[in-house]
Amino acid sequence: MKRRLTMGVAAAAVGTLLAACGAGGPGSGGGKISGGKLTLGVLTDLSGVYADLAGNGAVAAVQMAADDYRKKYGDKAVTQKIDVIKADHQNKPEVANTQAREMYERKGADAIFDVPTSSAALAVETVAAQQKKLYFNTGAATTELAGKSCNAYTYEWAYDSYMLAHGTGTQVTQQGGKNWYLIYPDYAFGQDMQAKFTPAIEGAGGRVVAKDPTPFPSDNYSTFLLKAPTLNPKPDVLGALQAGGDLANVVKQYDQFKVKDKGVKLAIGLLFDSDIKAIGADKLAGTMFTTAWFWNLDDRSRAWAQRFQKITGKLPTFDQAADYSAATAYLEAVQKAGTDKAASVSKVLDGMPLDDFFARNATVRAADHRVVHDAYLAKVKAPSEATQDGDYTELVRTIPAAQAFDKPSPDCHLG
Amino acid sequence: MTSFLQQLFNGLVSGSFYALLALGLAVIFGMLRVVNFAHGALYMLGAFGAVVLGDDAGLGFWWALLLVPAALAVAGMAMERLLVQRLTALDPLYNFLLTFGIALVCQDLLRMKYGSHSRPYDRAPFGGTVDLGLFDYPRYQVFVLAVSVVVCVAVWLLLTRTRIGTVVRASTERPELTRAFGIDTRRWVTPVFGFGVALAGLAGVLAAPMRAVNSDMGADLIITVFAVVVIGGLGSVFGSVVAGFAIGMIQALGNLYVPVLSQTSVYLLMAVVLLVRPAGLFGKEEHA
Amino acid sequence: MLDIEGMSARYGEATALDGASLTVGAGEVVTLVGRNGAGKTTLLRCVMGLHRPAAGRVALEGRDITAAPAHRRARLGLGYVPDDRGIYAGLSVEENLTLPPVAAGSAWPLARVYETFPVLAARRRFPGGRLSGGEQQMLALARVLRAGARVLLCDEPTEGLAPVTVRQIGDILRGAKEHGVAVLLVEQNLRFATTVADRHYLLAQGRVVEALDNRDVKQREDELLAHLGL
Repeated sequence: MKRRLTMGVAAAAVGTLLAACGAGGPGSGGGKISGGKLTLGVLTDLSGVYADLAGNGAVAAVQMAADDYRKKYGDKAVTQKIDVIKADHQNKPEVANTQAREMYERKGADAIFDVPTSSAALAVETVAAQQKKLYFNTGAATTELAGKSCNAYTYEWAYDSYMLAHGTGTQVTQQGGKNWYLIYPDYAFGQDMQAKFTPAIEGAGGRVVAKDPTPFPSDNYSTFLLKAPTLNPKPDVLGALQAGGDLANVVKQYDQFKVKDKGVKLAIGLLFDSDIKAIGADKLAGTMFTTAWFWNLDDRSRAWAQRFQKITGKLPTFDQAADYSAATAYLEAVQKAGTDKAASVSKVLDGMPLDDFFARNATVRAADHRVVHDAYLAKVKAPSEATQDGDYTELVRTIPAAQAFDKPSPDCHLG
Repeated sequence: MTSFLQQLFNGLVSGSFYALLALGLAVIFGMLRVVNFAHGALYMLGAFGAVVLGDDAGLGFWWALLLVPAALAVAGMAMERLLVQRLTALDPLYNFLLTFGIALVCQDLLRMKYGSHSRPYDRAPFGGTVDLGLFDYPRYQVFVLAVSVVVCVAVWLLLTRTRIGTVVRASTERPELTRAFGIDTRRWVTPVFGFGVALAGLAGVLAAPMRAVNSDMGADLIITVFAVVVIGGLGSVFGSVVAGFAIGMIQALGNLYVPVLSQTSVYLLMAVVLLVRPAGLFGKEEHA
Repeated sequence: MLDIEGMSARYGEATALDGASLTVGAGEVVTLVGRNGAGKTTLLRCVMGLHRPAAGRVALEGRDITAAPAHRRARLGLGYVPDDRGIYAGLSVEENLTLPPVAAGSAWPLARVYETFPVLAARRRFPGGRLSGGEQQMLALARVLRAGARVLLCDEPTEGLAPVTVRQIGDILRGAKEHGVAVLLVEQNLRFATTVADRHYLLAQGRVVEALDNRDVKQREDELLAHLGL
């Protein structure tokens, strides 16, 4: 009995002490942090096709950012209490909508991160504006997020279909792949990719000989692979804009149909390290693609990647790296603003220059909330050239930030 | 003309998978009156079996083609004995929920172990293409078509030319009556279930070299296969095989000539068939 | 040969049989008459083991088979000719014939079946579904005879058939009887019943209410027909 009492007193004392520290800490701005703590929500695909490239790795990345922030500022931090919460949106816009609401309203999330799948990301973007809370997209590719659907609460951190198309489409065309045959999955992502690739190829002096929508999902691409070499004029490049399992199907069958031997090279719209692992680097060796980042880029990247690997057991994807970058930038902005009020944090972020291991030569563009940063034209290493497991990517050329992304869309009015 | 024939051939190859899967479903449904919703997951397990045998045991494609369907047959028989059989006396809905649940459990277990991404398979036999006269075609895919046709014909002969086949067909048509003729149909149920599952496993192994091997591969495919089974006539073995190859060809032609319809054509056809012939093209009206 | 005692059966809440008892002796043809819903078909299904009775017992040649599954009963010599004739539409005539395993030494060889039923011999490769009603009925009877059944359970074998076919069926049943086969016949056609049967049971509301011989049936034909609602 006595012992329990002693412990209770001790706990109360510690509690008071902690509270005193929090309230009196420098730069904290007192009660300006709602609820005395920050809540970072990671809304992602925890069980579906994007679970490997985002998923729990994205949660881990945001958690790393929170830990690093606490360590960096110590008792100077606006708050030491940072919760990272996660939810599964199953890649469905209606689930994303309710989960985002739940996070912002009930769980008190100050910002949401990640959100792969364009339709789900667009749903979250709308909820963010209604709730007047921030949303940092790293997982979805559609340019609509910073285009006609843009709003003051949403930031685009990693990549978009323009970046992918203008990296791969322009570069490959300039290197001699003049005639293209595009095959794209027949849904929002694929249609958007196709719409970006075509002008990129034509702008570089190339020509799209034919383009075909493919069923989504599909495990049979023989129709298009047989058609490719018979087109007139014969295409130099087959541009495959599929993702995930569909992409694995395309590449396996491209290999079996010996389309390369018939003089049609393969270029891929969106390729993650996890895709290369899934398909086999040997089948993809030499294939060109554009990426927002890769872990083996340089020492800074490798250092972070190794920390990430120690925690998760896996090497990071660019989506996960972008989550860390975005969460860090958000926490820095809160620190500077001294409040978690979205409008004030936004004011700090807008126009902010950035240079972390992920976002190089970067700016948070005030006009449309897109983060422009260097992107990379890369090719898949042959397994014999890899220095270690998971080393798939070889840098071909850095695409400077100014060229990597489109100008702000005239359709975007942050309101 | 060449491209038309090419498409028909493409259709036969993807139809090979539909036919093998629909055949297994039809045999199982016929004998047990159970629509095996786990069939897609078992196909997926077949493909994973090939990958795992290759990666962990160093066994090549031919071993997988032999061992994986056999192992799945055993697993299928255990599943029938331990689970499915307990529910057959109840509303068919219970077995629908059971097999659907088994499918989800299989998918999630594999996702937990291997993640949601595809797994590479590098033990494909028959590199290269073969000249079919009018066009070149991957040797492996021609092989897949040949295996599928041989298996379908063999099953057909087994069903029509042997005593076992007669018993299975009789049990399929009138399970209760067949018992009244001195045949212990329950003795045949478990092996038939195992056989149907083995066919799904065989299709899975055949898919590994040419398709993405991931936990969702069966779930995506099986929806089309159910449509195939409905079009061919639920429980009609002949109908399932014919509809399997036919749907493959219709989809392939759709891909080329009417891309908008390539995905929906199957379901449109299913709707039309259900309106005109509710029992399917080769199905018979159920006896009361 | 066949003894049924106190047989009761239900379909859900509805009582179909309420303690029916009867016997059929070797070489005897016994009919079961009663209006629709009296429980005739249910009785045959209970005897065959296709419906689980709520109470009662069945014995075949003195051996209690109440707990035996249907396929065991068939192998012990029960032959079932269901009311829809039970022909497998997808099996050929010959497959239909040879499906039941041979139960006893009294089984007919296939050659004898074809000799007795030339129409089946002519159509042995036809699918069962393409036979006429009369041919299907022949096939149904031939099938259980070939298997060597010693007790036939026939559910309205003459229903909807032409007079010439009905006569043929009468011949077959009488022929079977001569070989010592017992027949329990569900029959609405009283005229036909009196030409083949030795005795009759009147079934009403799941019970045997009267045992009749051929003379009774002939004398009381009008009354019985009225009772059956014919």
